[in-house]
Amino acid sequence: MPVPAIAVPVRAAAALTALVLLAGCAGTEPPVATPPADAAGPAAPEGSGPAPSEEADRRVEVRYADGQVGGDTGRVPVELGDRVVLVVRSDVADEVHVHGYDRTAVVGPAGPATLEWTADIPGVFEVELHEAGAVLVTLQVG
Amino acid sequence: MTLLAHGVGSRTDLPLPLGLALYGAGAAILVSFSVLLLFWRRPRLGDGSSGRPLPAGLQRVADGPLVRRALQAVALAAAVLVTVVALAGPREPGRNLAPWVLYVTFWVGLVPASVLLGPVWRVVNPLRLLARALRPLAGPPRAAGRLPALGLWPAAGSLAVFVWLELVLPQRAEPGTVGIFLLAYAAVHVAAALWFGEAWFARGDGFEVYSALLGRLSPVGRRADGRLVLRSPLTGAITTPAEPGLAAVVVVVLGSTTFDGLSRTVFWQTGPGAADDTLSGTLGLLAMIALVAVLYVVGARLSGRLGGLAGAALPRTYAASVLPIALGYTIAHYFSLLLLDGQTTWILASNPFGTPGVDLFGTYGHVVDLTAVGPDTIAYVQVGAVVAGHVVGVLLAHEQALRVAPRRPASDQLPLVGVMVLFTVGGLGLLFGF
Repeated sequence: MPVPAIAVPVRAAAALTALVLLAGCAGTEPPVATPPADAAGPAAPEGSGPAPSEEADRRVEVRYADGQVGGDTGRVPVELGDRVVLVVRSDVADEVHVHGYDRTAVVGPAGPATLEWTADIPGVFEVELHEAGAVLVTLQVG
Repeated sequence: MTLLAHGVGSRTDLPLPLGLALYGAGAAILVSFSVLLLFWRRPRLGDGSSGRPLPAGLQRVADGPLVRRALQAVALAAAVLVTVVALAGPREPGRNLAPWVLYVTFWVGLVPASVLLGPVWRVVNPLRLLARALRPLAGPPRAAGRLPALGLWPAAGSLAVFVWLELVLPQRAEPGTVGIFLLAYAAVHVAAALWFGEAWFARGDGFEVYSALLGRLSPVGRRADGRLVLRSPLTGAITTPAEPGLAAVVVVVLGSTTFDGLSRTVFWQTGPGAADDTLSGTLGLLAMIALVAVLYVVGARLSGRLGGLAGAALPRTYAASVLPIALGYTIAHYFSLLLLDGQTTWILASNPFGTPGVDLFGTYGHVVDLTAVGPDTIAYVQVGAVVAGHVVGVLLAHEQALRVAPRRPASDQLPLVGVMVLFTVGGLGLLFGF
């Protein structure tokens, strides 16, 4: 049988895949110095002089009442680099968690929770109420 | 806990840009008809004797029973550790490595490992070691003779159970669920191996069969005389033994990945799947597997009839040619999960039990870098994988038709290739989202 001339492409493919796998292992990074997650977004002092790439606010308001989600629910598109303001109202005490960006805030009947951050990671991220296990809104950044 | 598509994860991929999806679909259709009309007329992808033998020393090491048992012992130790962490470690899924190891590092990592190196899980399967160790207690296998008749059907069932767990069960990301699954899986398959013999694993262990099938597409293969060889992945795929149940395994894999893609679309999340519960998920998964099964069987039977095959064409005849399409789908859906959220395993491995002050590898304080792979790269890999899988699938279908129906014009392949185009365009459509 003729010897198949596959050695070089096979080696190249193997090397490429090994690189890809190693990238997965080595991709961890030290914590980025981000502002701590807080319940009320501060009036951003840098709001007057943002980098030119920062667009206008993206305001998302959701409410959770009687086990139902209302407001800006479903899939909400966000431009990469937007400053996002998320306002959550809930009739039960719970914790709001934005996946990917790892932002949390406590919310309850007493008043709304506001989260403000810059959407600098592309992807599709869920915002959920932790205890209730309910998805409030899905942010599509990019 | 959140109900993301693959059990664990902090993000899913952006929808494909429309232009890229259309290019991919167009390329798939163009290649399909080119292959039908222009490509070779005699089988030329090799057979059981093809390939360049690997050095004899390497063969001795790879096939040596001591090496295998040692690797299985390492895998068993890792599996026991993961199970203990699942049952006794941190309760928060984000801090417990067990769900990440099972759904990402193992289930997705098995794909590149098997496509590169061959049926790795057959070599490393810790359950084989367990069954061998318990053999003296159970006596000789009582039903070894009945095993060949089962084909690969038990593996299709085993995989179906796992994909249901991975895609549907609301508590799938809970460490306790993962621990119970690992224990139950080990118990069932070791008991079956004690009943049927160690050959059970090659037919009934879903993970081992999955790894072995993906290994058919690797450049490393085993010649008919048992010698390890380097050969074209196409040769490996076309020489896949057509066992009963082969089509079922391929259909379960492809159908489950299709449901994974469906569950990420806005249509599903705001429509049929809005309830996000076990019932809608189970129905959706069954529907996707059934859809893939029906399309494939119809395509294969029509192709067989046009090819003049005596009797109905068995689905297993062409099942190996759908394997690259299933692989392309899997890469497209899980590539970013492995590279991004897969970092979590290595972060949490520094402190498996969450004990204060422990940081074995210095990574416990790290955060996942979700920008390690950009959305453009992800999109190109997704389209590239689906289209490449389609191209290889059509080539294999063409070759297989030449082998089983040598004197027919290429038109006998039209139904099967048409079904493949449907799978690919449908897959791209799911990635585009709607």
